[in-house]
Amino acid sequence: MSDERRSPLDPERPWNDWLRPAWDEPGSTTVPQPAPVTAGPRILSVVEVTREIRDRLRAVPLLRDLWVEGEVGQVSLSAAGHCYFTLKDDRAQLRAVIFRDERRAIPFEPRTGLRIVAHGRVDVFEQQGAYQLYVDMLQPAGLGDLALRLEAIKARLAAEGLFEAGRKRPLPAWPRLIGVATSAQGAVLHDISRVLERRWPLAGVVLSPCLVQGDAAPISIVAALRRLAAWRDPSTGLRPEIVIVARGGGSLEDLWPFNDERVVRAVATHPVPVISGVGHETDVTLTDFAADLRAATPSVAAELAVPARADQAAALRALRARLDAGAQRSLRHAGDAVTAEGRALDHLHPAAVLAGERERVGLLLDRARVAMDGRLGAARTVLGRAGERLPLAARGRVVRASTSLHAAHASLLALGPYATLERGYAIVRDERGGLLRDASTITPGARVDVRLARGALDARVEHVRDSQP
Amino acid sequence: MTDPAPTAAPSAAASVSDMPFDTALAELQGVVGRLEQGNLPLEESIALYERGVTLHEHCARLLSDAELRVQRLVESAGGALRALDLTPDDAEDA
Repeated sequence: MSDERRSPLDPERPWNDWLRPAWDEPGSTTVPQPAPVTAGPRILSVVEVTREIRDRLRAVPLLRDLWVEGEVGQVSLSAAGHCYFTLKDDRAQLRAVIFRDERRAIPFEPRTGLRIVAHGRVDVFEQQGAYQLYVDMLQPAGLGDLALRLEAIKARLAAEGLFEAGRKRPLPAWPRLIGVATSAQGAVLHDISRVLERRWPLAGVVLSPCLVQGDAAPISIVAALRRLAAWRDPSTGLRPEIVIVARGGGSLEDLWPFNDERVVRAVATHPVPVISGVGHETDVTLTDFAADLRAATPSVAAELAVPARADQAAALRALRARLDAGAQRSLRHAGDAVTAEGRALDHLHPAAVLAGERERVGLLLDRARVAMDGRLGAARTVLGRAGERLPLAARGRVVRASTSLHAAHASLLALGPYATLERGYAIVRDERGGLLRDASTITPGARVDVRLARGALDARVEHVRDSQP
Repeated sequence: MTDPAPTAAPSAAASVSDMPFDTALAELQGVVGRLEQGNLPLEESIALYERGVTLHEHCARLLSDAELRVQRLVESAGGALRALDLTPDDAEDA
């Protein structure tokens, strides 16, 4: 047998060594015994008896590791912070002690009258000649062991600040790669993929498979998180920007790995924000507390990880409308500038020479503006409709509409005060050389002069149609 | 852990076709803002407009064409990581 409190027989023995007679020392069997050694019953010292009892007690496996249920009797706290109490039922009572360090880890205190289940070992307190229960775990009777352990771990990690709101990181708005730590089997990955496919398929998903149940699960989950932290896609250079830790619903025992301290710490210290989606709505694990965002289910976790495609399509439509309106405004300003330039020319040149040119410029500009407005308007309408149905097969129309817009802009670029009739417009004059703007001012049979980009036509009016509104 | 390269501000000449959605969207917002401010030469307005149209089309195409890619990390005995593509069926049945 060994006893750490034994000290050499010397004058500098510990202060409390008075408890022990001088012959109770290692190798002290040759020290003169106080009783006759030759015959008769041997007379034992108190400490010898106590040690004998203690050793017998320590040899019983049951007493080294036991759960005992009872009612708390008297409770007293020592100045050092230890808690002494009695545990009793209607036939017996048991002295118990919780040392200060254990008390810190146990989420609640024994109170007189409380029915509890305590875990610990039975040992002998030599100084008082008493055996007692040394408690290292305590829970109210009727509460499961897991619930108590959960509370204990939670209290400890909370005291470390692991669950504080200040630790929570904002999620990236546009994650391009999403890490998922969950089982390769089962519906969870499928659920997450389905949500992302519908909501934001622009992001990539990288699964880091792990066990999500059983004794090996915590280490497996921690390893999965570590792989995601280390992963960098060699083809895109992307790293996971957000991580989802997920598992389907289950009992407290099933979800237990997500209460494991190692898992909780790995989630809290992961290099990128973590969303937890463990269990169903009502299940709460310590992983949920440590995560940057807690989702009620794996599917909700996926929802929270990405923007919504429909929202972005709407935002895109609004931007397109503003883009078109801005472009139209620019065109109007440019047109005004051309008109002003025409007027300036008017002052510089003989009116007779310039009248025709001025008219021509004005005419072209008017027509160009009408054409532009018409095209922009039509294009916008098409785009607006297409935008509403963007997720469907309306893309072709968007492309066609924007092609016509491009054409409209190209023609505007070509349009200067003396840019001529290349664009297919013609100038029509009556026999007196006046510009024709209104069909009603001419009669069938009249001769007209039609100027084209190259050359001119002498033509006769066959028929006059009323102007279209 | 941050990877600054993909999020760096694109130059005016940046190729739109390779742009991530958020980069193209951010540039489109900038283009619209500048165009709405006005006071630009006509050529510049039109260049901006064309750039805006290209960006818009790119974003719209990403939204409508994107297909979710799911990969699975595999760790070799030496600790090296690689990713294998998972088909939707794999994700369901694996």
